[in-house]
Amino acid sequence: MLKKPKINPKTAVRALIEVSITPQKDLGFDNIAERIYSYPQVKSCYLLSGGYDLLVIVEGESIQTVADFVAAKLSSMANVRQTATHFLLRKYKEEGKVFKYSKSERRQNISY
Amino acid sequence: MRISKRVDALAPSGIRAFFDLVLGMKDVISLGVGEPDFVTPWHIREQAIKSLEDGFTSYTSNKGTDQLRYAIAAFLKKRHHLVYDPQEEILITVGVSEALDLAMRAIVNPGDKILIPEPYYVAYGPAVELAGGEAVYIKTRLQDGFKVTPRQIDEAFTQGVRGILLNYPANPTGASYSRKELEALSHVIKKHDMLVISDEIYDELTYDFDHTPIAALKGMQERVIYLNGFSKAYAMTGFRIGYVCGPADIVGAMTKIHQYTMLCAPITGQMAALEALKNPLPDVQAMKKEYDRRRRFIVGALNDIGLKCHMPQGAFYVFPSVKSTGESSVDFARNLLRQKKVAVVPGVAFGQCCRDHVRISYASSFDNLKEAAARMKQYLNKK
Repeated sequence: MLKKPKINPKTAVRALIEVSITPQKDLGFDNIAERIYSYPQVKSCYLLSGGYDLLVIVEGESIQTVADFVAAKLSSMANVRQTATHFLLRKYKEEGKVFKYSKSERRQNISY
Repeated sequence: MRISKRVDALAPSGIRAFFDLVLGMKDVISLGVGEPDFVTPWHIREQAIKSLEDGFTSYTSNKGTDQLRYAIAAFLKKRHHLVYDPQEEILITVGVSEALDLAMRAIVNPGDKILIPEPYYVAYGPAVELAGGEAVYIKTRLQDGFKVTPRQIDEAFTQGVRGILLNYPANPTGASYSRKELEALSHVIKKHDMLVISDEIYDELTYDFDHTPIAALKGMQERVIYLNGFSKAYAMTGFRIGYVCGPADIVGAMTKIHQYTMLCAPITGQMAALEALKNPLPDVQAMKKEYDRRRRFIVGALNDIGLKCHMPQGAFYVFPSVKSTGESSVDFARNLLRQKKVAVVPGVAFGQCCRDHVRISYASSFDNLKEAAARMKQYLNKK
C-alpha cells in the first residue's frame, strides 16, 4: 500500500465514482478492485449489484486533483470500461451524525 | 378621552425604549429571548402540514377538539395523577396568555385582590387590572431563591383577596417549588380559602426534582385553576395552544368568555398539539438535557465574573444581580448591548424589587452562551 497523502480535512474534496469493469476470467472483480483500492487516494471501494460494478470513493486536495486521478489512473486502467464521477457538494448526515448548517435566527431578538 | 380609563391606567412598560434599541440592532447575541431556541420537533410540524393538506381549516368546538381535550386528560392522569373531565373541566385556549386573561375575568369582581409574587411575568398585573381587580405584589427575596413563603402569603392576606397567582418554574427567575414547599403553601392558601391561578407552562423544564402541580395536592384541585400549554416543553410558541383545567363552574365561565371573544383556538395548532401528546417525552427529554447543561454553565460563568447568581430549578432563565457593577439593571443592559452587543432584559421589567437584576435566557446555543459570557467578562474588566 502506498503512503497516504496528507490532506487538510476541512478543504478536502471527495468524489463518488461509479466504475464499470470487464471481469477477468477466473479472477472476477477481485484483481482489478485490488489495483484500484491500493491507490492512497481511494478512501473506500465497494463491489455493488446494479448498473455498474465498483463504487470508489476518492479524496483529493482539489477538484482538479481528483479529476486528474480519474483521468490518468482510473479510466485508463485495463478492464475499466467506463467511469462516472460525482463530486460531493455538502454533507447532511454521515455515519449517523447529522451536520447542521446555520439558519438565520427566526425569533425576535428580545421578548418577555 | 377616547381610551377607557381601565386601559389608560395600565402602567406603560418601563423598558420599551430598551426593547426598541435591541430590536433595531444587528448581529446581537441575544440572551433576552423568552422562547425556546429549538424548532418544533419535526413529527409535530409534519402533522400540522398534513392537517392542512387534509383540509382541516375550519373552526373547532369552542372548548377545543374532543381528541385534544381527551388526550390532555389522559396525559395529566398518567403524568401527574390529575383527573379532569375533558367535557366540563378542560378548555383549549390561545396560549396560556389567553387562559390567564379568561381566568381573571371569570373570577374577579371589581376591587377584588389577587396576590402576585414578585418578580412576576409581565402580563400578570395587567391581566388582573383589566379584569377590574387589584394586583397585590409580594416581594420575594434572593435568599429565599425568589420563592414566596407561607408566612409572606399569610401576612399579605387581607379582606378582598380572592386568590394568588403562582408561576413555577418561574419567568424570570427560574425558581420552582418542591412538593414539600408546595404543601406548606397549600396550608395557608386553604386557611384563607383562596383560589390559585397556577401558571405551570415551564413544568417539563424542571431540573433538580420532579415537578408537582399544586392541584395534585390534597384538597387543592377544587381551588386551583391550572394553566399549561405546549409552547415551552415542545417548542411550539408560534402554534399558540394552551389549556386550562379546573373546577367545572370556573372553566364553564371561562368558556363563556372564550366563545364570545376567541371562538376557538386555531385548528392547525390543535392538530399539532395532539401529535405532540402522542409521543411526548423523548423530544422533551432531549431539549431538557441540553437546557440543563447550559444552566450549569451560565450560572458558573456568571458567578465567576462576579455577577451573583442563584441556581434556578427550572425554565430557561437565570436572574443574576448586577449590583456589584454599581449600575442599575437598565444601565447595565444598555451599556452591555452598546459596547459588547449582548442583549439581556433589565430586571425592572419584572417588578420594582428587581432593579439590581437582569434576566438572562439560556434558550440560546452553547456557543452563543460561551461567547456572551466572555464578552460580559470583558465588559466588567473594562469598567
